[in-house]
Amino acid sequence: MHDVLIIGSGLGGLECGALLAKRGFRVLVLEGSNQPGGCMQSFRRGRLHYDTGLHYVGGLAPGQVMHQAFAQLGLLDLPWQRMDEDFDHVIIGGRHFAFRQGYEAFAEGLAKDFPHQREALHSYVQRLQNITADDMDICAYDYLRQTFSDELLLNVVSAAAMKTELRRESLPLFNFAHTCSSYIESSWRLKGNGNMLVNKLISIIREAGGEVRTNSKVTRLTEADGRIESAVCADGQTYKAEFYISDIHPAVLCELLEGCPTVRRVFRRRMEAAENTCGMFTAQLSIKPGALRYFAHNVFVYDKPNVWTMTEENTPVKGVMISARVPEDSSDDLRQIDLLTPMPWHECKAWAETRVGRRGEDYNAFCRQKTEQCIALAEQYIPGLHDMVEQCYTSTPLTYRDYLGNPEGGAFGMRKDCRKSMLTFHSVGSPLQNLFLTGQSIILPGIEGVTMTAFETCSKITRDNAI
Amino acid sequence: MTREEIIAEINAELAEEFEIDEATITPDAPIYQTLELDSLSLVDLIGIVQTKYGVLISKAELPTIKTFAQLYDYIEQHQK
Repeated sequence: MHDVLIIGSGLGGLECGALLAKRGFRVLVLEGSNQPGGCMQSFRRGRLHYDTGLHYVGGLAPGQVMHQAFAQLGLLDLPWQRMDEDFDHVIIGGRHFAFRQGYEAFAEGLAKDFPHQREALHSYVQRLQNITADDMDICAYDYLRQTFSDELLLNVVSAAAMKTELRRESLPLFNFAHTCSSYIESSWRLKGNGNMLVNKLISIIREAGGEVRTNSKVTRLTEADGRIESAVCADGQTYKAEFYISDIHPAVLCELLEGCPTVRRVFRRRMEAAENTCGMFTAQLSIKPGALRYFAHNVFVYDKPNVWTMTEENTPVKGVMISARVPEDSSDDLRQIDLLTPMPWHECKAWAETRVGRRGEDYNAFCRQKTEQCIALAEQYIPGLHDMVEQCYTSTPLTYRDYLGNPEGGAFGMRKDCRKSMLTFHSVGSPLQNLFLTGQSIILPGIEGVTMTAFETCSKITRDNAI
Repeated sequence: MTREEIIAEINAELAEEFEIDEATITPDAPIYQTLELDSLSLVDLIGIVQTKYGVLISKAELPTIKTFAQLYDYIEQHQK
């Protein structure tokens, strides 16, 4: 008998496990696949590690939003490296802009390019620092249109928000602001791979007496008197705990809850009917030795000011994020670059019935074409990139669906909608008294969002504010 | 849609979705107790009304809906 059983070992599940294990709870984390970590996991090809979802983290400096959270989790002693003062570069239609760390510096930096919008920029960074739950009901795009009269600037300040799903009609200001603000406070990359973060959390759980088991896919949850009684795994093993935390997609959780009388039809239907965010196409490039120097900033390249509409029709690729990986040998020889671009599910439909490694040559040709389009855009910042590439590995929403169990390969969990915030921002509670939810679908996506949600989830179990 | 049509439709829907006996739904019955609503399932009620009628019950007006009659009134006044 454990105190807390956690289903899924994504960042949210492991963070909950670490927080609760440190508080003396006997924790068991069950991961269905053979590798823990969810979107934080990395994979190895040859001598290089490639990350799946970890690119950069915001707000890790003392006094900033993520510092206290990571300190409490025990993640601050990982080798975080602060990025350049100009941490994000934006190229739109051939024009180059930079985002500087620090709210005032950010506003003043862009005011050099947009002097007629200086007041609006200062108003904008003030607003980012004063986001409340009421902003779940505010449309981010409407707010930006009211704030910036210059259409190009509206696109520029939104350009690095490729870390969430930009939808004009629905994205809440709450999400947009959280996607932007912590990075403006300070931006950091991990020197190493995402497995370092995953392994650190696992070691914290194990040192506190907890367990993390892979290849342990939970297939059913049983109920007794309004509480989860046990978790049944595919291998027939049954586990019992006082509390349960779900770090899997809520629609997938509902499948496990079939047969639980307390979970009424209405809850299941709401979760199953929820829309998923778009996925991402990623081309992970290894670069020939000596071809390129490391740069400690991201670059977002768009062919024109269509930042808010390109997700709807991103064929051919109209915008790409360039993320460089910190060289692990401490040299300045850049060996790995990720190119990312939004990819809606409808682009995957031709291969929806296929599985990893068996998608066919037409899928491989599609990925090659998409990669070439991403490289062509990235060459606006790195001329000659095409000839520097040694190896290329690609992933699509299908990859995320099949490895991580995300329906439709959504990169940011379930979609939030400012027009119906009460329905799309979810409670960490559930109809069952001892079952709680965590992960990117619940409140906010991204490392910051998932971490904050994990703290909220754990507070329901510890019933205090120390977490 | 007439008020009678709304009543017939929403009562059937709520009984089906919340898995209760439709006979317990009467105009003056307390909505929270009858549907066994808590803060979590209250969201489900809002979801049904929005999906079915395109009517979003606002946070501010939610506390004013205490009986089924008040719910019918709200839908009738706000339906498009």
